[in-house]
Amino acid sequence: MTAQDLDQMQAYKTELNDLALKSGALVLGVADAAAFTAAQEGQRPEDLLPGVKTVIVVGGAQPRAGDWRSPTYRHMETTSTSDRVTAIGNRIAQHIERRFGYYAVTIPPGVDRARKPFLNVALAAELAGCGSPSLAGPVLHPEHGFMYYAATLTTLPLPFDGPLDKPACPAPECVSMWNEHATTPCMATCPIDDGGCLGGTLVDERIGERRYDVARCTTRVQTHFIPGFQKALGAVFDEPDKEKRKMILWGTAFTRTLWSMSYSNVSQGQCFECMRVCPVGSKHRELR
Amino acid sequence: MGFYFVDPELYKQYKDRVLELSQAIQINYPEHLPPERRKPGFSDRQIAEKLGIEEKAVREIRCVAEREYYPVDEWERALEFKDKACRDFAVGGVASVTKKYIKRQKDKAG
Repeated sequence: MTAQDLDQMQAYKTELNDLALKSGALVLGVADAAAFTAAQEGQRPEDLLPGVKTVIVVGGAQPRAGDWRSPTYRHMETTSTSDRVTAIGNRIAQHIERRFGYYAVTIPPGVDRARKPFLNVALAAELAGCGSPSLAGPVLHPEHGFMYYAATLTTLPLPFDGPLDKPACPAPECVSMWNEHATTPCMATCPIDDGGCLGGTLVDERIGERRYDVARCTTRVQTHFIPGFQKALGAVFDEPDKEKRKMILWGTAFTRTLWSMSYSNVSQGQCFECMRVCPVGSKHRELR
Repeated sequence: MGFYFVDPELYKQYKDRVLELSQAIQINYPEHLPPERRKPGFSDRQIAEKLGIEEKAVREIRCVAEREYYPVDEWERALEFKDKACRDFAVGGVASVTKKYIKRQKDKAG
């Protein structure tokens, strides 16, 4: 690539960054498509777009500060989705194809038949320098904390951003808590050894070991989504009494699940408790 | 039946092993950990090779076993957990999860 080509690519990147921010994103980063060596087969950029050079990640669509303050957890079940940031990813893809003439594919936020994401978007966000993985799981931006991400694969050979030099997790407050109490706010709110999902250690102010009960987390994050629907339907089939079957089918849990499924056709997170207590980006959640 | 599903006997035979190999409880799974410490779950293809069964059978066994792992009661407990955690935070902020540790420390010192 000539110096002129490099300048051109940098100009394209600046244009895409401006477009993303104007569209409501908080961050944009670019990952090297060849850097996804830790991803499983079938979930690497080349598996989805032959000739892919870069993965563009946009982040944003955070819950509002007021959402975090609400004492009603059900509020965030419906207000917090990845739809808005995925729409920005689609806008990026359209711009690349129409204006620059390169292929572009935005990763859909759902899962494939094997119930796995089409691409590990968290890994993409990390490799694009948009944040770093947390002990709780979500990728956290050092300034903004929790947000949703979308990834767009493209044959456009943009300059890469690398992973962050200093991870956002653990926050200094969490290191202090770990040093005094051998836990952190996220692990304290959802402890794996006491009916929760999260466990682990901090070593030298970094994540040492991490344990995560993904099956239990599913019961909390997708209580009233596809998994909850399947469990409730199983209970209906198992119930021999007709009247009891009616109580289940017309009852609150099953009804709420159907509402939830019809609100959103993509991934819908329904538990935010580990993130609610996370100090990373919390200054943006402290308003009057 | 017009779509593929796994034989229940095959499911019973392999579900524990499939869950173990795919890491239903993830320990040091994340990509950012150093390679020497990282223990990612195996892919369906890798599990199929290890167990000597078809990849599509592994996929079905894993998806069904993940759903079966916790009984429906756990879904009800999830509602109680979220309600309490959210309400406690609205009242006490981060202290809603840290105060018990601080109290324990004070009790120890006193």
